[in-house]
Amino acid sequence: MKRIFLFFFAGCLLFVSRSSAHVGSPDVFYEGMAGPYRLFVTIRTPPMVPGIAEIEVRSLDGDATDIRIVPLRAVGEGSEYAPPSDRMLRSQADTQYFTGKLWLMGSGAWQVRLEVFGTHGKGDTAVPVPAAARRTLRMQKGTGALLLVLMFLLVASLIAIFGAAARDGQLDPGVAPTTPQRRRGRIAMAVTAVAIVAVLYLGNMWWDAAASGRAEMMMYKAPPLDATLQNTNTLVLKMGFSSWHDRRKTMLLDKIIPDHGHLMHLFLIGQPNLDRFYHLHPEQTAKDTFTENLPAVSAGNYAVFADIVRESGFPDTMTTQITLPAVPGNPPAGDDSEAMVANLPDPSDAKKTATSSTLPDHSRWEWILDTPTIHARRPTLLRFRIFDKDGKPATDLQPYMGMAGHLVIVKRDLTVFAHVHPSGSMPMAALMLLEKQQGSTSAEMTGMPGMSTAMPAEVTFPYGFPEPGDYRLFVQVKRSGQVQTASFDTRVDP
Amino acid sequence: MAHSASFPVSPPSQSAVFPRVASIPWYVWCSAVAVTSTAIGLYWDISWHTSIGRDTFWTPAHLCIHFGAILAGLSSTYLILTTTFGKNPAKQESSVKIWGFYGPLGTFVSLWGGLTMLTSAPFDDWWHNAFGLDVQILSPPHVVLILGIFILGLGGLFLIIAEMNRANEETRASLNRIFLHVGCMLTILLLMLISEYSSYTLSHSAIYYRALALAMPPVLVGIARASGYKWAATKVALIYFVLWLLALWLVPLVPAEPKLGPVYTRVTHLIPLEFPILLFAGAAALDFLLDRLSGRNKWLQAAVGGAGFLIAMIVVQWPVGRFLISPLAENRIFGTNYYPYMLPPSEYHLNHQFEFYETSRAQFWVGMLIALAAAFVMTRLGLAWGDWMRRVKR
Repeated sequence: MKRIFLFFFAGCLLFVSRSSAHVGSPDVFYEGMAGPYRLFVTIRTPPMVPGIAEIEVRSLDGDATDIRIVPLRAVGEGSEYAPPSDRMLRSQADTQYFTGKLWLMGSGAWQVRLEVFGTHGKGDTAVPVPAAARRTLRMQKGTGALLLVLMFLLVASLIAIFGAAARDGQLDPGVAPTTPQRRRGRIAMAVTAVAIVAVLYLGNMWWDAAASGRAEMMMYKAPPLDATLQNTNTLVLKMGFSSWHDRRKTMLLDKIIPDHGHLMHLFLIGQPNLDRFYHLHPEQTAKDTFTENLPAVSAGNYAVFADIVRESGFPDTMTTQITLPAVPGNPPAGDDSEAMVANLPDPSDAKKTATSSTLPDHSRWEWILDTPTIHARRPTLLRFRIFDKDGKPATDLQPYMGMAGHLVIVKRDLTVFAHVHPSGSMPMAALMLLEKQQGSTSAEMTGMPGMSTAMPAEVTFPYGFPEPGDYRLFVQVKRSGQVQTASFDTRVDP
Repeated sequence: MAHSASFPVSPPSQSAVFPRVASIPWYVWCSAVAVTSTAIGLYWDISWHTSIGRDTFWTPAHLCIHFGAILAGLSSTYLILTTTFGKNPAKQESSVKIWGFYGPLGTFVSLWGGLTMLTSAPFDDWWHNAFGLDVQILSPPHVVLILGIFILGLGGLFLIIAEMNRANEETRASLNRIFLHVGCMLTILLLMLISEYSSYTLSHSAIYYRALALAMPPVLVGIARASGYKWAATKVALIYFVLWLLALWLVPLVPAEPKLGPVYTRVTHLIPLEFPILLFAGAAALDFLLDRLSGRNKWLQAAVGGAGFLIAMIVVQWPVGRFLISPLAENRIFGTNYYPYMLPPSEYHLNHQFEFYETSRAQFWVGMLIALAAAFVMTRLGLAWGDWMRRVKR
């Protein structure tokens, strides 16, 4: 019986899944132009799909008066016809801050199109949004208690109704039930009670099966990744089968496309201190296999994060661990890069943000903070300024894989990993798919943050830390043909 | 029917000494309106989901459903309270007694149905939050809601049949029309419940006939048996057919556009449900065979009636299904060219080809045998239920 009484609580299991598009960092942050309007867009994706995404837009130049939003599939069928757009709510207190909500009705690659109106007329843009179910919600105690009370009431009254139907239902008006009829009523109640227990028991089993089946069907799982070292310096990464992706093949979640020039961006991060960092680009040697001839890598344990982008613009970050011996070889070349973090502070001392970092070439990097503390879930522009060895703003920055910079954010416990660019947290490949769809040219794309030909000494990344805790940031830029990586530590407050 | 003629046969009336019901009480109308409102609301809700999509508690379709629950709940509560605390002993004498309260059995059943429907609301809300807004009909909270709706309808039937069994012949005939109408609404509710398995695209699969055999004979036979009028099941099935057909032709006249993305198909009007099932064929077989076997062993009646129902449905729906997948049905009359907004054009062809639920011939025939067994058992259940209802007087 206890199991039956737990009927309304039995389905309240909490399923948690790593999010797609990074790890543990499901929200989308975008900085870019909607025609003449510069926007900072935050899209908080729903934990369960279908579900409601919360959209926050800040007009950075203070010239927008009205914004309309609409969700569409990113590519293919479903990206052609748009439902009527929704008008965002403009804050009374902060007139350049707009909020809105949109239903995302399925998993996969979406776009949120924004139409902005203001002093310069109309502008529009589209932001890629990967939607994937991450977790189910526990039933609130109040709801559970209410349902339990209602269940008792319904069960008791149903037993009474059956009893009355058997005892009185067929009597002529005014005729009192006889003893056998009363007995029949009691038997009917007993049989009903037994039947209800059986129905509740079976119902409970069905509920469990339906809930776990739905969770299994909906919950996102990145493909499993198996990493092995072969022939002393060949790293072989084999992607495993993912039923989540297999079910959604028609949504273009199968084929992998290049993201700023590479099919995979691989990050090896030294464990446990995050003191070694490699950003590599393995080649696809079979449908589900990538290989990388490693540069010289120091021995130790590594957390492996492998970013890929699907044909629809949907990103996956696959994770695994590997222990490597000292791998002989040359330093990373081309787009590959590495960084060693010296003088690692004790994690217990990392209570405030380290705002300055000096590299071996004596260049100095500054993290320019608008506020002394960083709070979780608060969208912010992370700004980094680079000074050369003479203390002057660096003038030799070049695009690194088409970007002004790359930022990798890792929480110390590895529950959060994000690969961010000046345009935002979405893959550039997804953004370019939408740009292409809207007919933008590559020349127009140079107008995106971080793509300017005249490279400033400052690089910014729109982002919001998903949860409190200690994070390490690896900022990468290219200077005079060399990739440089600076690291910063921060503690994010609730 | 076994006991039917061209006029009502009501065994209790032969020996009755109590006052006859001579008019249709207000609560019978309330019950009929409640069940009708709920059935219309459900049809509208399904159409809403396929053409507009956006879902809040306050959609007209939801309001229509919940109006039914509230009307049935309030009228039942009022009737129970006035019967219990009123000064009319005759009312109490024709009531059942539950927990010290008096009222017709049907009002207690309707109230239970309404309460169950209300219970489903927080359950469904949590389910949507936990597992996402679902588009499946048979999720646990939806089943609780549908159970409530169905019990609400059953309460209406019990309320009417008790009045019928105490009515004079003229009033009984009037009540019978309402009884058949409520029965038809229940049939419609059941057909919406099994609609995932009763699409014409499945009409060459055994699952289609299994679903029909499980859901239809109990309600058709039960209502016909309790009604006592000739061809009652056929009338119920014909009312359903006409109403459903009218909906197919009229619903698309209502403008609508999708308000949820992704929009795969441009929609400008409400999308109706599929062409109705020719249920009157199976119902006529039941009416005819059970009438012919009147007075014989009820298991025999169930075996022959159930088999007759199943065979009639196969004979009719097999070719009708073939016609409906053909280009000839892609018009406003047969409505196979209506596509929900969420259906990609690349899947339009699914409307025009059979889906084979069973993957082998052996599975198909096992499914058909299950359908036959279901038709037999469910017809027997309908006979028992109908006979029980014919004796309900309170």
